[in-house]
Amino acid sequence: MNHNVTRRSFLSFAAAGAAVVSLAACGGNSAAGGSAAKAAYAAPAKDLSAELSYAIWDAAQKPAMQKIVTEFNKQYPNIKVTIDVTPSKGSAYWTKIQTQASSNTLPDVFWMNGPHIKLYAQNNQLLPLDGLVSGKGVDTSNYPKALVDLYTVNGTFYGVPKDFDTSALFYNKALFKEAGVSDPTSNWTWDDVKSAGAKLSKFYQGKGIYGYAGDLTGGQTSYYNTMIEAGGTIISADGKKSGYDSAGSIAGLQFWRDLIESGVSPSMQQLTDTSSSDMFTSRKLAMTMDGSWTVGPAQKALGDDLGIVSLPKGPKSNQSVIHGLANVIPANAKNPAAAQAFVAFLGTQDAAKIQAETGTVIPAFNGTQDAWVKSVPSVDLNVFLDLAKDASPYPASANTAAWNELENTLLPQAFAGTKPVADVAKDLASQMDAALAKES
Amino acid sequence: MKAQTLTPASKSVRAARAAGDRRKGKSKSDGWWPWLFVVPTVAGIGVFYLWPIIQTFYYSFTKWGVFGGTKFIGLDNYVRMFADSTIPQSILNTLIYTVVVLLGIPIAVILASLIERPGLRFAALYRTLYFIPYITMPAAVGIVWRLIYNGDFGPINWFLGLFGIQGPYWTSTPGFALLAVATVGLWMSLGFNLIIISAGLREIPRELFEAAEMDGASRVRQFFSITVPLLTPSIFFVTIVTVISGFQLFDLLYVMMGKANLAMPQTQSLVYIFYNQAFLQNDKGYAAAIGILILVIIALLTAFQFRIQKRWVNYV
Amino acid sequence: MSESMLSTKSGVESRRSGVATAGPSRAGGKPSDRDGADRDGAGRGTKGRGAKSHGAKGGKQGANVLAHCVLSIGGLAMISPLLYQIVMSLSTNAEVQSTPPTLWPSVVQWHNFADVFTSMNFGSQLWVTVAITVIRVIGQVLLCSMAGYAFARMQFRFKGLILAVVLSIIMVPSQLFLIPQYQIIQNLGWLNSIAGIVAPGIFSAFGLFLMRQFFMGLPDELEDAARLDGANPFQIFFRVMLPLAANGLWALVIITVLWSWNDLLWPLVVTSTANAAPLSVGLSNLQGEHANNYPILMAASLMAMAPILIMFLLMQKRVMAGIGRSGLK
Repeated sequence: MNHNVTRRSFLSFAAAGAAVVSLAACGGNSAAGGSAAKAAYAAPAKDLSAELSYAIWDAAQKPAMQKIVTEFNKQYPNIKVTIDVTPSKGSAYWTKIQTQASSNTLPDVFWMNGPHIKLYAQNNQLLPLDGLVSGKGVDTSNYPKALVDLYTVNGTFYGVPKDFDTSALFYNKALFKEAGVSDPTSNWTWDDVKSAGAKLSKFYQGKGIYGYAGDLTGGQTSYYNTMIEAGGTIISADGKKSGYDSAGSIAGLQFWRDLIESGVSPSMQQLTDTSSSDMFTSRKLAMTMDGSWTVGPAQKALGDDLGIVSLPKGPKSNQSVIHGLANVIPANAKNPAAAQAFVAFLGTQDAAKIQAETGTVIPAFNGTQDAWVKSVPSVDLNVFLDLAKDASPYPASANTAAWNELENTLLPQAFAGTKPVADVAKDLASQMDAALAKES
Repeated sequence: MKAQTLTPASKSVRAARAAGDRRKGKSKSDGWWPWLFVVPTVAGIGVFYLWPIIQTFYYSFTKWGVFGGTKFIGLDNYVRMFADSTIPQSILNTLIYTVVVLLGIPIAVILASLIERPGLRFAALYRTLYFIPYITMPAAVGIVWRLIYNGDFGPINWFLGLFGIQGPYWTSTPGFALLAVATVGLWMSLGFNLIIISAGLREIPRELFEAAEMDGASRVRQFFSITVPLLTPSIFFVTIVTVISGFQLFDLLYVMMGKANLAMPQTQSLVYIFYNQAFLQNDKGYAAAIGILILVIIALLTAFQFRIQKRWVNYV
Repeated sequence: MSESMLSTKSGVESRRSGVATAGPSRAGGKPSDRDGADRDGAGRGTKGRGAKSHGAKGGKQGANVLAHCVLSIGGLAMISPLLYQIVMSLSTNAEVQSTPPTLWPSVVQWHNFADVFTSMNFGSQLWVTVAITVIRVIGQVLLCSMAGYAFARMQFRFKGLILAVVLSIIMVPSQLFLIPQYQIIQNLGWLNSIAGIVAPGIFSAFGLFLMRQFFMGLPDELEDAARLDGANPFQIFFRVMLPLAANGLWALVIITVLWSWNDLLWPLVVTSTANAAPLSVGLSNLQGEHANNYPILMAASLMAMAPILIMFLLMQKRVMAGIGRSGLK
């Protein structure tokens, strides 16, 4: 089997035209891909020769990825990996991946995220990786369970977790000191953050500096977390019903409306003009809820003035949504053996350590996160790891993007106060239910 | 004094008309020669542009799977489209945008008649200044304008602040956002309109103005009874171009607005909804129906413009 | 250049005459006769001569001052975003976000421009951009002018129908073509290649229409003479008619250069390696990477626009003449 694939791909790469390559690959591997999924994976021969394209969206992580490829080539010197970066800004990455999927030209390995995994898995666009697990190419117990679950669709495992992120409370020590407000702690509650935010906003009134805000142009570092902390849900566990009309969810949304209404947070319009992350790094915001990926830029901008503590506790809990990326292989992979070997390597401890040392993301491989924690010694990054322990899985369904658009269209009206929060939440719930009903 | 009564005076105009008549008279076919000239381009356009439109038309009657695979569902997409309240709103947005950008045409006429004043110094410099925005990259310019419009540190609100006016958050407040985007559209297209109209102005025979001057017509009167009527072909051309590009509004929204913008429902264009449905919400069948709607609207508008042009455009 | 000198000179002249006498140099219909002759030829440069015949009234000087006021204030407003962009490209990020706005950075940050080279593949992306632009321009100039000529001056079956279809295609938003075109390019095996980026753009309904309009406006005499001499349509086209359509070709060239240089969505989708991508894609990648580092973004976009701006400044007379004439018919 493996020999077969190797020989075929070798022949096709020897052929000159790119068209010939893709035609030969398509013809040969739809069958090969299918059976490779069921059969246990066996590491291919070290002299396997192949060319792989690896699509990612974060240019900042390209050096780390390149370093991992170099390490990978020490094992498989003849597998050439080309990294291709397309920014996720404005959904360029997903527009491209989707167009490629429609015409069977997906890259050999590519990054996957929570909102898209079910869409691609349920439409048979991805190579099942159960064989990789049963063949001991990857051990799923090495990764946080929430992530393995995210990338397991209908009992089939599709993506090897690469990294994860959670949200916490970032604050500016200098702004707190000047206003004479005592620093936040990891034991704070919603009331604490509200009253401290009010004091800060009042103290800095007229200077364009605010107490507390989150990124309300998306849920992950703002309302998703508060909705869960108030006992609500975004989507039911089976992914069939919206959770937006529950009392807890409404309370979680109302939290942000209250902050804006009382002037603790900048207005919805203001947060659209200048993102909360930008305001925080330019010292216009004393506290913000933000994701672990912001630690690097924030530390660079604020230096030792940066402080980070756990999320303030809501009516029910203090919890963060956990999200993470995974590496996946397309169903009609041109060279599944080589692609699986590369994905397996991306899932190793060695690869995770390379990622950790750059400090850009938290690697998913358990035990390697210490290197990331040490990458910024001035703050206690263990906060993010503690939050990961009982984090809530990232809300997703087969076509997450459809109701994400509904959130983006409807929720700003609630936060801006043009419509009551409860009305908007109920409207969103019913429209989201309709969108979910269309998925099946 | 009406412009039409003056036109026969122009020699060149008469010559042009005669040429046109001759051409019309020649009705016999040129055999297979034209096909040699036409086939490469027409074939290319057929493959890369016409075929996609035909496909889109077909897809508008299907539920199109995200990754291909279509199911015929008849008129469902169209039924849904006519019940979708964001569609009429976005048509209204597009119309408002187009009207604001169309305001650039009278501005261009006035500026052009100033620049083309006989013997004005620095005319070439002025033309250059006004034309530069037309050749800048929309993606880059969008970011610059986002900063210019920024409610907190943008120069516009700083300027208004000098007069004690608290400016709005231009790109994120409903109502203002559409005006803000349309202003950028006007800014980008003004130079193009100006050049077209300037060229039209230079074509107007000078003796018309002299005759008018001898008759004692004032400058203002000359402007309205000679300049404007004789410019109507150029004005018609830039109107068509503006309307078509107005209905294709996408890049500026994409760069300037960002997601989850409170003002988006009152700002988004039909093409934006099309892109959103096709590539973000993965509903390509529905998107195809919207694409067909865009086609129909633009075709109707253009046909309408060509129909009424007889009433106001003076082809001499 | 010569144009501005011309207008400057006649401006001085007319002003002088306006001050001195009531304009004795103006002799009735004479200048206008010259104007007419001129227009039949190239249709350019009537302005300078028209000056004499037009600068009649004494209040002209005042009117010109007013014109200068309006035009210079307007002109400044038009390029102020560009000036603002230049200032920002030389500032620090903090200065960009400061209130009141920074008029000039306290320390000029030239390194922002150097940083662009380390954050994007500027050299190779510039090369790709130039290559696709040149290919598109040559392809369009050749194909569109041939087809435009046939539609303007030849008779053949289905001409009206084909033209109507071509016209309607101009109005279709380009996003509509994205997926079908991608599938065609993929079937041709041209993904990630200059051929793939260029192929759909070589064919242009707009270019065809534009060239048709130009050829419609040309006189018949030369064509008829060549035909009597026994020239075949190819010879007539390349030797006689194409040189006459120079203005139209320039309009097509500049519009194609602009579109090709600035096109983003299509090259973004068909290219998947940074080296095969043009500048517009590189710029959008940079936006993804330095989302809030405005100075670098501004510097990079200035650098990406610079070649076009320079080209325009060098050839502005032709560009303006070309585009200007595209609206005359």
